[in-house]
Amino acid sequence: MLILGIESATASTGCAVGDRSGVRASVRAAGDRRHAEMLAPQISAVCELAGVSLRDVAAVAVDVGPGLYTGLRVGVTTAMTIASALRVNMVGVTSLDLVAFPVRHTSRSITAVIDARRGEVFCARYRPVPGGVQRVSEPAVSSPEAVAAEIMAAAGEELVVGDGAVRYRSVFDPIRGAEIADRGFACPSAESLVHLACARALREEHVPPEEIRPLYLRRPDAEAKWPAAAGAPTPASGP
Amino acid sequence: MARRRRRPNPGVGPVTPPPPSSLIGAPAMAAPPPIVGDNALVLGIETSCDETAAAVVAGGGRRVLSSVVSSQIDLHARYGGVVPEIAGRAHVELMLPVVTEAVVTAGVADDDVAAVAATCGPGLVGALLVGVSAAKALALVWSVPFVAVNHLEAHLHAAFLDEPDIELPVVVILVSGGHTMLVLMTDRLRFRVLGETLDDAAGEAFDKVARFLGLGYPGGPAIDRLATAGDPDAIAFPRPMLDDGWDFSFSGLKTAVINHVRRHQAADPADVAASFQEAVADVLVAKARRAAAACGARGLCLAGGVAANTRLRELVLDAGMADGLETYLPSPAMCTDNAAMVAAAGWWRLRADGPSPLDAGADPSLRLPGC
Ligand SMILES: [Zn+2]
Repeated sequence: MLILGIESATASTGCAVGDRSGVRASVRAAGDRRHAEMLAPQISAVCELAGVSLRDVAAVAVDVGPGLYTGLRVGVTTAMTIASALRVNMVGVTSLDLVAFPVRHTSRSITAVIDARRGEVFCARYRPVPGGVQRVSEPAVSSPEAVAAEIMAAAGEELVVGDGAVRYRSVFDPIRGAEIADRGFACPSAESLVHLACARALREEHVPPEEIRPLYLRRPDAEAKWPAAAGAPTPASGP
Repeated sequence: MARRRRRPNPGVGPVTPPPPSSLIGAPAMAAPPPIVGDNALVLGIETSCDETAAAVVAGGGRRVLSSVVSSQIDLHARYGGVVPEIAGRAHVELMLPVVTEAVVTAGVADDDVAAVAATCGPGLVGALLVGVSAAKALALVWSVPFVAVNHLEAHLHAAFLDEPDIELPVVVILVSGGHTMLVLMTDRLRFRVLGETLDDAAGEAFDKVARFLGLGYPGGPAIDRLATAGDPDAIAFPRPMLDDGWDFSFSGLKTAVINHVRRHQAADPADVAASFQEAVADVLVAKARRAAAACGARGLCLAGGVAANTRLRELVLDAGMADGLETYLPSPAMCTDNAAMVAAAGWWRLRADGPSPLDAGADPSLRLPGC
């Protein structure tokens, strides 16, 4: 079962194709946030590298965030449109799962921390289990200091991973028992996405393309400010 | 998985001339087939602002097989304008249902679509990127060309969807919430911007005056409705830059309306709306008439969301009658943002320039080509 994985929820953009036996090809551009420009040529390139046609793809996996809104929308729109045109199912994986997964061989607890801008981070906590990691808290948006306080309260050995961990190194470094994972692990990778998605697709944890939604974790500013300004009832909060 | 059929090309090559007779006997050089046939189907996608739209159009506008528009007006109304982040999120959710409905309504198979076109600017960058991404994804899966379309150029093609035989050249009054310009269109791919607004777009002025009068959002239809009960000559609002070149300015007019209402609390809002609307339409049409005379245009054409305004349409008709010009007033559905005009423009661009590269991005401040 060939899976195409698309990842553009943070500053980097990447895609990969693979199946149960492993990743066959992957392409990645780090950093410059030109997601919309790079993604489609990358998808062509990765299929060519792997020697497959897009039409051979049996499921499309996508990083559903949280992350940078624009990159996230480019990735999710591209992935859901490809899946819909191919009439195949999708696997959505959170960016936090994707940064925690590559450090699964640790014996410590894991906190995934992704830069959310405006002085905040997206985060979730994990524990390593055989063959992977298990998320033990829901993805949330928080201040780096609040995440640090949680890690301190847990009072164990902790690996802190993600671009948020790197950016707020000064907040996480002083915590006793905590270590910050290398910069090389800071961004989610499309390879991890294909790896995780293969396992989930085998367990039939997939959805039709129209059910995939970006995980923003924050309401749009205008919506968030509206009730306070106008005294209107609080609208139902988003996902 | 269905594969694309190689279909015989229904059309004739548009530009390649037959080889000159002196070359007979030289190695036969087959004329390259046109990238897109005369009756080829283009799927268009439009997400530049607050409408998520998709359409299937044949032959660059000769036939509109489907045009689906999902408006987000309700999502933005309480903010009195389009909120970019809310628009971006809504486009993602609406994209698949809208594209699917456009394809199903058109009654075509995926394999029948010869190219996918999407608006790449001008507009809200976070909104544009959703449509561009979706179009590229379809182009990849269907192995057909992707075409990046200029939204303003698309508006200029809209009138042809209702009336394919427009006699060119025409002067187009392109008026919407984001744009106000006077464009000389000499053929389907050649335009010259004669004048533009120096400050507020006409639609923006309608929205701001409507908000001040407490009429809600969007302002254009609200003022149009209220104006029917008012006297357009009740208040002599200024006609900014009426005799001064072909550019526009609506910011001063908007301020004049607000000042007048503040000074005359008893003024009938219907009179204010009618008089304001008269001033806007008057300036637009007066300049378009002068431009048509100066450029030797054969007609006047309306485009953009404000082109739905009743009084503007009346004045254009009057002007055509008085000056012996043809007048083209597209249906309101084609005036406001839609994807049929994007698909039509995409077909013409594809024929002229070929496909756009897959690494094309969005340009929020894109200008009309050649201007
Ligand atoms: Zn428009």
